[in-house]
Amino acid sequence: MQPGHRARLQDPAAPAINQFLLAVGFGLATASVVALAAVAVSLQVSVTNFINFAYGDFMTFGAYIAWTVAQRGVNFFVAIAIGGVATGLLGVIANILVFRPFMRRRVRPVTLLIVGVGLSFIVQNGITVIWGAEPVRFQQTLGDAMHLGPFLLTPGDLLMIGASIALLVLLHMMLTYTKFGKALRATSNNADLAEACGIDSERVISITWFIAGILTAVAGVGLVLQESTLDPTTGFTELFVIFGAVILGGIGRPYGAMLGALVVGILTEVSGAYVNAAYKGSIAFGVVILLLLFRPQGIFTTAGKMG
Amino acid sequence: MLYFITDLLVLGCINSIMVVGLNLQYGYTGLLNFAFYTYVAIGAYIAAVTTIGPSTVTGVTWVLGWTLPWWVGIILGGIAASLLGALVFAFTVRRLRSDYLAIVTVSVAFIFWNAINTYIPLFDGGTGLFNVPYITGNAAISSEQYSGIMVLLSAAILALFVWTSRRLFRSPFGRLLRATREDEVVTNAFGRPSWQPQLWVFMIGCFMAGVAGGLFIFYITAWSPYAFLPLESFILLAALIVGGSGNYWGSLLGAFVLIEGLAELSRFIPSFGNGADVGAIRAIIIGAVLIVVLRYRPEGLIPERWLHWYSEAPSGLGARIRAIGRSG
Amino acid sequence: MTVAAEDTVLDIRDLGYAYGGSWAVKDCSFTVERGQVTGLIGPNGAGKSTLIEMLSGTLTPRVGSIHFNGRDITGASPARIARLGIARTFQTPRMLARLPVIENVVLAAPNQIGENPLRALFWQRSFRVQEAALRAEARGLLEWLGLQDHVEQLAGNLSGGQRRLMEIARALMAHPKLMLLDEPTAGVFPETGRLIATRVREIVGQGVTVLLIAHNMGFLSAVADDVVVMAEGKVLTRGPLDVVREHEDVIAAYLGSASTKKMMASTGAAPDPGGASG
Repeated sequence: MQPGHRARLQDPAAPAINQFLLAVGFGLATASVVALAAVAVSLQVSVTNFINFAYGDFMTFGAYIAWTVAQRGVNFFVAIAIGGVATGLLGVIANILVFRPFMRRRVRPVTLLIVGVGLSFIVQNGITVIWGAEPVRFQQTLGDAMHLGPFLLTPGDLLMIGASIALLVLLHMMLTYTKFGKALRATSNNADLAEACGIDSERVISITWFIAGILTAVAGVGLVLQESTLDPTTGFTELFVIFGAVILGGIGRPYGAMLGALVVGILTEVSGAYVNAAYKGSIAFGVVILLLLFRPQGIFTTAGKMG
Repeated sequence: MLYFITDLLVLGCINSIMVVGLNLQYGYTGLLNFAFYTYVAIGAYIAAVTTIGPSTVTGVTWVLGWTLPWWVGIILGGIAASLLGALVFAFTVRRLRSDYLAIVTVSVAFIFWNAINTYIPLFDGGTGLFNVPYITGNAAISSEQYSGIMVLLSAAILALFVWTSRRLFRSPFGRLLRATREDEVVTNAFGRPSWQPQLWVFMIGCFMAGVAGGLFIFYITAWSPYAFLPLESFILLAALIVGGSGNYWGSLLGAFVLIEGLAELSRFIPSFGNGADVGAIRAIIIGAVLIVVLRYRPEGLIPERWLHWYSEAPSGLGARIRAIGRSG
Repeated sequence: MTVAAEDTVLDIRDLGYAYGGSWAVKDCSFTVERGQVTGLIGPNGAGKSTLIEMLSGTLTPRVGSIHFNGRDITGASPARIARLGIARTFQTPRMLARLPVIENVVLAAPNQIGENPLRALFWQRSFRVQEAALRAEARGLLEWLGLQDHVEQLAGNLSGGQRRLMEIARALMAHPKLMLLDEPTAGVFPETGRLIATRVREIVGQGVTVLLIAHNMGFLSAVADDVVVMAEGKVLTRGPLDVVREHEDVIAAYLGSASTKKMMASTGAAPDPGGASG
């Protein structure tokens, strides 16, 4: 959980309110990345009812693919798209090969969690074998930070915020207006009932994994833009920040996850400005613990999962 | 060559102690503790700071700095781990769904790791402790001989803990543990709140973890946060599951085969172009084996069976000797 | 809060429980007298099982109070209630499937010194005597209930009727003052039902009080001293079985028609819509 480039941007001489607003700005940028990943996790949890521990490594994977492709001189945005598709496919393969056999046998959630951990081992270390453990950098420098009102944001941050909003709006439209979106919402509400209405829940689940994979990859790239470097553990270290957002918003509720990401993003950045930055990671974990102990249904509660 | 074997044995025994402790918690009682290695680390640190005296090198700091005998240090390490475990247990005793409990325990593990890594005055932060003296003090001993001594010590402690597990399982307490895991509603309905046997088991398991940590640090003579990343707990859990949870033979098998065997096997794998590959390949194998075992043989290599522990005849060594005396 | 009479084992007053917005039990009040078998009957959805869950501590009542032998147990935990001397069986038998039957039964005995891990570690001889006695008692109970051939079997291998018998043995092992039996003959063969009825009366003869839920009128007439009728969460009426089942409201609650009345009078079976009857 490195402080990243933000540490350089803090100016102790600035008045307190400015410090605060700066942190809020950083929080927005962080939140946009976290939101994509958190929504991905929530979508997947809503249809499969277990939390995939390997998501952080999916993020790393997406980022590495995008990086590798960008290294060959491919346009930055195309590289992100390719990374997204690759991660989507990874998600689908993980579902079919690894998770689905267990889900068909209706094992306990704990077992799926452990399986996710095993998958995390495989993906993270597979990345290490293929790309090495040394950190790499995106060659792209999109420009320096610039002041926008009280905020100090890089073009990378702005790109992520924009991309995040765009993707989430697309997702919302998909969920609300398309046939697949309705099938997804039905499956997440009650898979058996959805099956009875003729919805092929296994197909819905596969496609959901694909969508989640894409979102995750974009989040992974965003994360790299923020942290400046990429190594096999990058995604995994963000995992609990993402979990924090997911749980805050209510597990399995994508819209809640968006709000949760906003809260978590701003919270970690603001508290990181006032507390030793090295403890920033613990804050995310602490949030997760407190939530699961005292309010596992999230902050924005009503009955039911989606919407 | 002998050193190779004794080294293998020491590490195997220490890992086995850990898996036996974890088995007590997860295998037998169903408590998932992803922070297990944290307790090992606490045991190691406490064992060190109570025995190596204050720091004599500037820039390197740690708490306490007593100079108690090594075996007291190890026991204190176990007790510290056990108390910490009780504290954590008290806070998480709220009935969390087991996968949420797992997430909470990982979070706890990470927070401890972060605190120890960052807060230097505690255990010297990221640099860690090193140059921990041998338990034999200033005696002139080669590393091979020390390794041999440690084999005896760790094997003895392992035997003690296996005996402890066995005694606990083969008793009404063991029955209650098993029952609590099988169906809490029933045990509650007959007057036994779940948290009581669970707390005992948690503390005893953490004690074992702490002792293993103490042994570890006296063997390796150094310890730092990089020795107890939360991922190590997963590896222990994988060893337990693959070996067979719910019985101590499975724990031993898992520890020796998965942890030790793989670690040694990886010496023979040629490395590719990149650096950290050996460890990475080992982790991939562990992950894959874990998934395959969970899919095709979830009870592990040595499955758990109900032990008919109660017999009408008096048991114990004394009784057997008397029986032989009578018939001979 | 003073209690009505010294012979009242269970005093339930204005008890209520709601799942979300709908009340499963409301304004429920009755008493259970010592040494009696009180039946609890009513159509499905009447709130009988919810009531048992409140009595055994699994659910906390929203309103009202429960007194057991004069002591307030409203909202107490199941473990505490068990230690005070209430034992129960479950609507669907719950047992430790991978443990032998005898272990399942012995588990219920209270105050086992061997359950202290320090004794288990250091002083095994101290509990072996108690364990031997408990096992002998468990074997006796199992034999009394006809399960002597299944003592060492894994409990998961028992048939439905055998499970119910085991549950009774287990409940008795706890030496309870009050037994709550939730449909003890549901799904069993008629001869098993008769055995259970006989045994329940013998248990009561030993001074234990019984409150049971049942649907089978034959079983009830053999076993119950009187019955409490519930419908839609409230107590409808109370009295001996023959009186109660002629009661208009009771018949109306079940299915409500003259032909039903005739059916009940002739066969002795309750017109129980969709419920299990033995």
